[in-house]
Amino acid sequence: MSKPVLQLENLTKTYTLGKRDVPALVNLNLTINAGEFVSIMGPSGSGKTTLLNVIGCIDKPTKGKVLIDGIDAAELPENQLYKIRRDKMGFVFQTFNLLPYLNARENVELPMEGRGKSKSEQKKRASALLAMVGLSGREEHRPQRLSAGEQQRVAIARALANNPAFILADEPTGNLDSQNKQGIIKLLANLNLTQGTTIIMVTHDSQVARNTERMLLLKDGKIVKELQGLHVNKKNRTCPHCGSSIQINDDICPTCKKPIYASDELF
Amino acid sequence: MGIMNRAIRNISRRKIRALLVIIALGFSMAIMVSIPAGVLANQQTASTTASNLSNIISQTSATINQTSTQIDCSLAPSFSGFGFGNFGASTTGGSGSTPGQFGGGTSGRSGFTPGQFGGGGTPGQFGGGAFNGGQSSPMNESLYTDINSTISGVADVEPTLQASEGQNVTSTVSFNGYTRDITRLDVEYTIEGIPLTSDLIDNYPVLPTNITSGSNLQAGASGDVLLSENNSAYFNAGVGDTISILGQTFSVVGIYSPSSVSQTQTLFMNLSDAQAITNNTGYITSLTVFAQNTDAVSGVATAISSLHPELTVTTDQTRLTQLQTLQTTYNAELATAQSANSQTYSTAVEEIVVVVVATSLIVLFVMLYTVKERTKEIGTLKAIGFSNSTVMGQFMLEGILLSIIAGVVGIAIGSIAAPTLSSLLLPSVGIGTRATGAAGFLSGTTRVSGLSVATLNPELILILFGAAVLLGTLGSLYPAWRAAKIRPAEAMRYE
Repeated sequence: MSKPVLQLENLTKTYTLGKRDVPALVNLNLTINAGEFVSIMGPSGSGKTTLLNVIGCIDKPTKGKVLIDGIDAAELPENQLYKIRRDKMGFVFQTFNLLPYLNARENVELPMEGRGKSKSEQKKRASALLAMVGLSGREEHRPQRLSAGEQQRVAIARALANNPAFILADEPTGNLDSQNKQGIIKLLANLNLTQGTTIIMVTHDSQVARNTERMLLLKDGKIVKELQGLHVNKKNRTCPHCGSSIQINDDICPTCKKPIYASDELF
Repeated sequence: MGIMNRAIRNISRRKIRALLVIIALGFSMAIMVSIPAGVLANQQTASTTASNLSNIISQTSATINQTSTQIDCSLAPSFSGFGFGNFGASTTGGSGSTPGQFGGGTSGRSGFTPGQFGGGGTPGQFGGGAFNGGQSSPMNESLYTDINSTISGVADVEPTLQASEGQNVTSTVSFNGYTRDITRLDVEYTIEGIPLTSDLIDNYPVLPTNITSGSNLQAGASGDVLLSENNSAYFNAGVGDTISILGQTFSVVGIYSPSSVSQTQTLFMNLSDAQAITNNTGYITSLTVFAQNTDAVSGVATAISSLHPELTVTTDQTRLTQLQTLQTTYNAELATAQSANSQTYSTAVEEIVVVVVATSLIVLFVMLYTVKERTKEIGTLKAIGFSNSTVMGQFMLEGILLSIIAGVVGIAIGSIAAPTLSSLLLPSVGIGTRATGAAGFLSGTTRVSGLSVATLNPELILILFGAAVLLGTLGSLYPAWRAAKIRPAEAMRYE
């Protein structure tokens, strides 16, 4: 049994609009264990963003507990929360949010700042992470010289910089074309499978969500449905073309030599 | 990637904008540094002016002291010569003796004014010339040596011999049925002999001061003559030439420009030379007594009068009053100079306040704009774990860095344009020229230097750097605080 990296207990968040109280999250309970790949889905106004903000320690809940790696973030003062954000989670944004005047490696180094790592250690780790997301050799490139998919890969590497308890991804494929979308999903799924990275992803794209192990459907501030997704990197992969058994990391079927796209496998 | 590195990259990211901001800031910094430079220059000018004015004032008071201590003593002119009386004596009068002059004895002295009845064994007894104005009667100089020794409060005594030379012009005058030939002297030059002792010429205004060429008479000089411009024309001689005066050869050491009409034909020489050539050895025409101080004047004058009742004793009240007026004027100039300086100072303070506020506002708005523009970036930094203080420090540093770069530019601009900028921004002191004018009035002995030029000194440069850091801090404090307050959620869907 994996240990829980995120526990939401009786979480309630109420916004006050004028004299009216608007409930965004209502008595929500959720436990996410280490190594899970979870997608949170829901229509507009379902509370997705609020939930994401509460998990990301950006918003404080009105009631309830937000236990991140066992620490109740709801109890922490503002000037402590940045450490939780820095050390316990890695953000991946819809618009990548790389600093345009820094190159790929420097962007990845950013979260490591102020963690007592030497410059060379930071550099080494950043390069290793970039290699892991498939961008070795592109370290010195600035974001404007990278494609959208590559930029998101840099952002994922940055999210991993401090070995976080989980990655919090907000519509990570929202700004990508279908090819890059598949690439990023595959990268996240691979990280989850091979590195055991816990990923919490908010999306409204059901096709993307289907790639995760666990799909949560949010409505009116409550989790109304929980589904098992089709994990793209399930252990027993078969080639969608010839049906022979393939390995986790195979992009090309060793039997029929055809390229395997995630979409072929899943959709 | 430290915050410093990021700050530098952020500034250089938008090059044209950064350049414009730096130029604007640099210009205001240049103004900021030019103002104190101008104030310093003005202070320098003012202090030079003040010290020069003080010099003039002390000179004036010295002159006042000399003049006010000056007591002129002469024998009352006798107007007996006006008559037609003939006081016959031998006709062996010396040179220049006028018709109708009846020089007594064989030792008749030349050169006294027409109608003056010179010579004789009892000099000082004969009435002075009448036709040519009140020329003093000659007197035996030895008679008055007691003034210096017996009267207390006397600083010095200047015996003077004055004698006019020229052509006799005779005209016939009819009066009441009588006809007489009247002869008068058409003066061509006047010899003034004064003792050329250093004591006198160094301390008292006995010689003309405005020498136009050559040099003044030196102490102990003999055979030298100082000519007026008129004399120079009359003798057709310049500096270095030798001229013959009453048969004696003199070399011209200098030419002076007369300060009064009465001086126009006067040439100066050693008293003994003057006495010799005019056959007046041992005789003088006037005595100038210098009292030790102004307070002693009336006492000394009274003492001279009682000791030698035959002397006409006068003190110069008019010139004293004039000089005192002049001194009042100089004091007023000095006060003006000081008030102009303080005016400049207060203007400078006002302007510096304006420039400091303007500079901080530039930094403030530029940084506010930057923060606004980079909201998403700041949100991202906070989302990935940057603390408020780091974000705040980042923007503070950017503002300060911008100011420091602008400070360097400001020094560059200031070192070229400080004189122009400060003269545009600060009212000129202006007292310098007025003081020069005043100095010129006082025989041009003291000149007041022109305005000092505003320059940047190392202290000012250091102060400007301090100001740049301070203004950068002040101007970016609020924007940085705003940046720190940006919520990480801004990073999420902000586009």
